[in-house]
Amino acid sequence: MKSKSRSLLMRRLALHAALTPLAIIWLFPLWMMFVFSTMPDYGIFNPDIVLWPSTNFVENFNVLQTETNFLRAMFISITVAVIYTVLSVMLTSMAGWALARYRFAGRSIVIAIILGTITLPFAVVVIPQFIMVAREFKLANSWVALIVPPLFNSLGVLFMRQAFSMMPSELFDAARVEGVKEWRIFLHIALPLARPTMAALSIILFLASWNNYLWPLLINSKPGMMTAPVALGTLIGITKVSWGGIMAGAVLLTAPILVVFIFLQRHFISGIAAGAIK
Amino acid sequence: MRLRNGIAYAFLAPYLLIFATFWLWPIISSFLISFQNTRVNPWRFAPSLNWGRLVGDPAFYNALYNTLIILVIQVPVMIALATVMAVLLNSPLLKARPLYRFAFFAPVVVGEVAYAAVFRLMFSIDFGIVNKLLGTVGISAISWFDNATAAMALVIIAVTWRWAGYNAIIILAGLQSVPGDVYEAATLDRVSKVQQFFHITLPLLRPIILFCVVLSVIGTMQLFTEPFLITNRGGPGGGTETLGLLLYRQGFNSLNFGYASAIAYTIAALAVAISLLNLFFGRQAK
Amino acid sequence: MAGLTLTNVVKRFGALQVVHGANLEIADGEFVVFVGPSGCGKSTLLRMIAGLEDVSGGEIAIDGTVVNDVEPAERRIAMVFQSYALYPHMTVRRNLSFGLQMNGNPKEDTERRIAHAADILQINELMDRRPAQLSGGQRQRVAIGRAIVREPQVFLFDEPLSNLDAELRVQMRVEISKLHKQLGTTMIYVTHDQTEAMTLADKIVVLRAGRIEQVGAPLDLYDDPANQFVAGFVGSPKMNFLKGRVEAVGGGSITVSLIADPSVRLTMPVNSMPAEGTPVTLGIRPEHFTDAGAGNADLKVAVDVAEHLGHTSYIYASVADEALIIERPETRHSGHRQDFTVGLPARRCFLFDADGQRLR
Repeated sequence: MKSKSRSLLMRRLALHAALTPLAIIWLFPLWMMFVFSTMPDYGIFNPDIVLWPSTNFVENFNVLQTETNFLRAMFISITVAVIYTVLSVMLTSMAGWALARYRFAGRSIVIAIILGTITLPFAVVVIPQFIMVAREFKLANSWVALIVPPLFNSLGVLFMRQAFSMMPSELFDAARVEGVKEWRIFLHIALPLARPTMAALSIILFLASWNNYLWPLLINSKPGMMTAPVALGTLIGITKVSWGGIMAGAVLLTAPILVVFIFLQRHFISGIAAGAIK
Repeated sequence: MRLRNGIAYAFLAPYLLIFATFWLWPIISSFLISFQNTRVNPWRFAPSLNWGRLVGDPAFYNALYNTLIILVIQVPVMIALATVMAVLLNSPLLKARPLYRFAFFAPVVVGEVAYAAVFRLMFSIDFGIVNKLLGTVGISAISWFDNATAAMALVIIAVTWRWAGYNAIIILAGLQSVPGDVYEAATLDRVSKVQQFFHITLPLLRPIILFCVVLSVIGTMQLFTEPFLITNRGGPGGGTETLGLLLYRQGFNSLNFGYASAIAYTIAALAVAISLLNLFFGRQAK
Repeated sequence: MAGLTLTNVVKRFGALQVVHGANLEIADGEFVVFVGPSGCGKSTLLRMIAGLEDVSGGEIAIDGTVVNDVEPAERRIAMVFQSYALYPHMTVRRNLSFGLQMNGNPKEDTERRIAHAADILQINELMDRRPAQLSGGQRQRVAIGRAIVREPQVFLFDEPLSNLDAELRVQMRVEISKLHKQLGTTMIYVTHDQTEAMTLADKIVVLRAGRIEQVGAPLDLYDDPANQFVAGFVGSPKMNFLKGRVEAVGGGSITVSLIADPSVRLTMPVNSMPAEGTPVTLGIRPEHFTDAGAGNADLKVAVDVAEHLGHTSYIYASVADEALIIERPETRHSGHRQDFTVGLPARRCFLFDADGQRLR
């Protein structure tokens, strides 16, 4: 017995010895982002190694704000992410419900098209999307352009479809026999039962919208209509720039999401893992 | 179930409308545009213009080469690392599991721009913290942005940091779906932990790892933000130019939509082809 | 309240036909049980009556009106499901009121109906709980309550007791029977359990492979099965079947011998006259064997196992390769491999031809 508990202890030590350095390396960039955001620029350029935060965050933020109107960009990002998430959850759960729970002509064709195109890279559609939205609809630098085109979220449809098809069908039959209308069955029975799935999906969608870079960069590049990542991106690569300011922006983009992540880790993880379990 | 066409399509209509407009039609449209001369007004049908140019364009081959190099190095390294993370995180011996989980999974929620900015600063040649730390162990400063090889390494490091945890989440979910009694039975059969990993865990994880590989291939094929923001628009001198970046340049700097569409279709075709190859060999290996 | 008529009802799933033209008349207030092995089409038939499945052919009429294209909601039916199908996120009260409320039923009337149903089923103290907080039997009551508040013309039950343990099943069976007497509404009940069918039904409909094999009162099916399938399905333990052949024909009766023991011969009155040598099957229920010498022939069997239940014993025995179950009151002398002789009373035996049809 003694030798067994000893070898268990050794294995436990080895496990932590392997994992701890990796974890430190992985956390390092995030820690440094925070440290840099609190340092004045002359501190960043100092040849000494500084690993602890300083006190210059507010000044850094003020520089960022004067250069990019970052608050306005944050406001746009938050608003877009919220509206996008609500709309997308609505659309995907309605579509997922139909695909999970109704028999209709063309059902297998619709499913085949969604599954068949789900893995195509966004690169394939970005040019025509841009031409359509910017040139034909003349919607560049608009809220609609930021929110509507990214709504084609097939993974969300499959995610919701999965949730609905795992519910016992007798539940909906019972309501049907009771004379409850289909949209009310959806609203009063299916949706409340799908709440955990919707929560996970909402988090993933909000994150995707909040971090989206390429599409907002292309379509909303006018100052005043930029999202926060795009506004921050404009500063990167310019020679005369305040790195402290950029880091303050990076922290503002990251910190709220990280806090949410800490509290809702389970939903995040189930949302991401669900992509794999189809 | 009763046949319910009307109700089903009423529920589907809003999504299908968006899907058709912003996904299905662009997929077709992109293909058509690639056969157009988009540098004249109005556009003219010129079937071999863009595709002909692609075949002979050194910039395309450079981007293709860089993309494939990143793919060949970064994807296996990252998936292996993610598997290790997942297996270790799944160990019942682990203390402070939430802390480790947070460390590996946090990069998943960090936006591309934010992390690109940090990496750029951390790897800066003269005052970057990475070179300073390397200096303390006697390694001379590396020109991460001026040396093409180092720049490629930087892109690979950055992408791996950002996405390893994402894949670890998926693999961990797969690990947790393996019933524990399989391992108990193996332990009773005197199969060692290492043997268990290679003979039980890995074969059971194969489909999930393949899924991760396919996802990563698709992501890497259109890699854009990292070379755009971290290594300064594909620098040095096109040393980290990827297909995604070339597409962006042609489409949105030169506004040559026809040529950009041809590049886009090449990216998609390569992504699909490599994914299928993976799936094919993944099945074969069984 | 209403009667039902099924005329040539057919159900196809794609190319697969699962109900092959069912004809059935159900009177107002009748308790009808659809019984058959799994996959026989009984649940599909019920779901077509409910309107949850399209009718591929034929007609279903409730109270004289064809309802093929009528939505389930408009058929004035209520259904109780095998899994109870209670809305898990609603309290018991809300489960009962939900359907009525969604259809704009006046509030006072809804409350009156709920109070009435709660009284009948004695679920008053459960009203504010959620389904997850209820036991299986309580859930079953709530599910039935939800059907009662609809005040339907027809109740449909889809294997409602099969998720309950044996004891509770017997108890709920009695309650459903009482409920039918109290309400007097037409009830259609699907089960694979012949005991439930025998105890509950005014009329049993035996189904096999999408066809109605026989319709009749429980004891009619027991006493006078139309074919070997019904004979084997109704009654517990199952009827014994022994292979035999026709030895002699004449004078309105035939003489049959057993293949397993050709010395055993029985003469039975039969109208149809099969040829000599025709293979037949002889059926006799376990409870109908007599003491040796008391029947029309004696059969010597080898005992494999005997189960003594006190008031009765089941003796698992064999003749040559054919297995038998014999029920004898308080038999104590049947140890393993002992030989045992029982009597075969001819008037309790049934004859079936090679296709399983009854020879009368």
